[in-house]
Amino acid sequence: MITVQHLAKRFRLSRQQRRSREDVGSARDSSVQAVDDLGFTARPGRIFALLGPNGAGKTTALRMIATLLRPDAGQIHIAGVDALADPVAARRKLGFLTGSTRLYERLTADEVVRYYAALAGVSEPDYRRRRDALFGALGIDAFAGRRCGKLSTGMQQKVSIARTIIHDPEVIIFDEATSGLDVIAARAIIQFIRQCRSDGKTVLFSTHIMSEVTKLADDLAIVHGGKLLYSGTFAEFTAASGERSLEDEFIRHVEAAEGTTGTTGAPR
Amino acid sequence: MTALPSPVMAVLRKELVDSLRDRRTLVAMLLVPLVVSPILMVGVGRYAQSRAQEAREQPLRVAVVDPHNDSGLADHLDALPGIEAVPEKDVTSLSARIAAEEYDAAVLVDENFQREVAALHPGGVSLLFKSSDRFDQQKARIKDALTGFEQKLLDRRFAALQLGPDVVHAIRVQEHDVASPREQLGKLVGGLLPYMFILFCFTGSMYPAIDLAAGEKERGTLETLLTAPVSRWSLVLGKFLVVTLTGITSALIAMLGLYLSFKYGFEGLPPELLSAIGQVLEPATIAAVFALLVPLAMFFAALLLMLSIYARSYKEAVSIISPLTIVVLVPAMLALIPGTRLTAVTALIPVLNVSLATRELVAGTAAPALVALVFTSLLALAFASLFACSRWFAREDVVFRT
Repeated sequence: MITVQHLAKRFRLSRQQRRSREDVGSARDSSVQAVDDLGFTARPGRIFALLGPNGAGKTTALRMIATLLRPDAGQIHIAGVDALADPVAARRKLGFLTGSTRLYERLTADEVVRYYAALAGVSEPDYRRRRDALFGALGIDAFAGRRCGKLSTGMQQKVSIARTIIHDPEVIIFDEATSGLDVIAARAIIQFIRQCRSDGKTVLFSTHIMSEVTKLADDLAIVHGGKLLYSGTFAEFTAASGERSLEDEFIRHVEAAEGTTGTTGAPR
Repeated sequence: MTALPSPVMAVLRKELVDSLRDRRTLVAMLLVPLVVSPILMVGVGRYAQSRAQEAREQPLRVAVVDPHNDSGLADHLDALPGIEAVPEKDVTSLSARIAAEEYDAAVLVDENFQREVAALHPGGVSLLFKSSDRFDQQKARIKDALTGFEQKLLDRRFAALQLGPDVVHAIRVQEHDVASPREQLGKLVGGLLPYMFILFCFTGSMYPAIDLAAGEKERGTLETLLTAPVSRWSLVLGKFLVVTLTGITSALIAMLGLYLSFKYGFEGLPPELLSAIGQVLEPATIAAVFALLVPLAMFFAALLLMLSIYARSYKEAVSIISPLTIVVLVPAMLALIPGTRLTAVTALIPVLNVSLATRELVAGTAAPALVALVFTSLLALAFASLFACSRWFAREDVVFRT
């Protein structure tokens, strides 16, 4: 389970960022509120979608949950572990996969997965067992000895999946994991996310693509300007949309927020 | 239960494998110090030797203008091997003919040369030459020849005056250099050795440091690595150890290359010099130099990793770090200036202290207390840099600087 309460993060803007914001007519602030009082709960065996336009604060929120960034305020619990008090223990419970994830080009697929297992403190027998199961299921055996730099995007994505879950985490976070992938590679990720739900994992994924939410989400939250605009089950969201398409319903939430807050987004 | 390697060892092993598969690292760490640098050094040395030899053996054509043709200088010069004395009358065109390299030099005997010599005064002789980089050797040969001619005239004078040749020497100075051949070697190459290993320690660490931090940031693997359940300290320590190791390896290989260059690259080295090199290579000296190299490599590794992780990309890291090679070499060059000595103050200046201490160690004249001070100060600096580096890696604005 992931529990997030009153999460907040403000970034100082670099001179270059300030200049580019001025160019598009934004205020001359020296900092920006990327995430503002965000809270939600993602449960085991369910897929939680964090939906929002580009620059909504999704990546910042996920980076805080994955303990890459430290929030200015709020609390995060990963599978019962206080992520702020003990980030290493929290990371032991989670796997993190992003669309921009790359692999070490000069290492073989086998070496990459073994490296991450060692970092997670997996024992040799557990590693062998999980490696055999994962490599078999994902079809990595055929290219396990090849250097990652020589693998196709689809093959690399499979290796990324294997290294994400080699330590059998309870919680798996996907940050725009299909972005930039071709249809086949994206499909493999979608299937993998479903498999995680079947295995009873807590899945949190961020996206700006409504069709992915439709395919996968059990629960969703809409984020814009760092603030939570909506949180509920996918079924509730669908019911609330009535005659409107889900995309229209999402846009309605965003436009309503812009009307009230006037926020135009935050840097990722 | 069998375990996979500890996180630090896992990082160390992975980064070593990764670095050793990187062509740039291999070139900087192995190829340049072991092959390229010695070849260049031996090549340049041999070229200089051969040019000097050529200048020594090249026949010299010297015009001799002797108005009365009675000084005997032309005959003296002509009798010497490698010198052809050509009697000349036309003084006016001599400068132009020397400039056109028809003659290497010209010797002009004064009108009243014989009269002056007979009166026991110095006879006047002018030497015309065109100064150039290659004339130094030739000028020295002609001056030696003139000195020989002068000695001949002096011998005649002493004989006529019935004096022994020692009459002009009121005192006899005998020089005794108490410096051992090893100390002399220390003066000769003691500054070169640390210059070489400091340079290669730095350049050998440079590419792995850039690759392990900025490279990882640019390739998009850093973010994933930071989500691994391992402390930031373990990651930094693993990377730091690899960079330190490559720096040390590169420096040791450079020293091996230097040794091989001296042993096999140059012909005709004096046996005393070879014996002194053998003395320098005694285990205690090697251990002491190595003890200084380790904290220096640690300091370089921490410094380079800090700069590398700050950079947004591999290219930016290269542009930040490359100019530092010159900055690092300045203190090493200061140590080559005569009179710069290892003192309680210079022992605290990084890089300069290693250069000076190594020079003293090579010469066998190092004061143990000062070497200990150098080692301690370097070690303190190395650990302070490592601590700063781990703090630096924990900063979001550095690690996620885009």
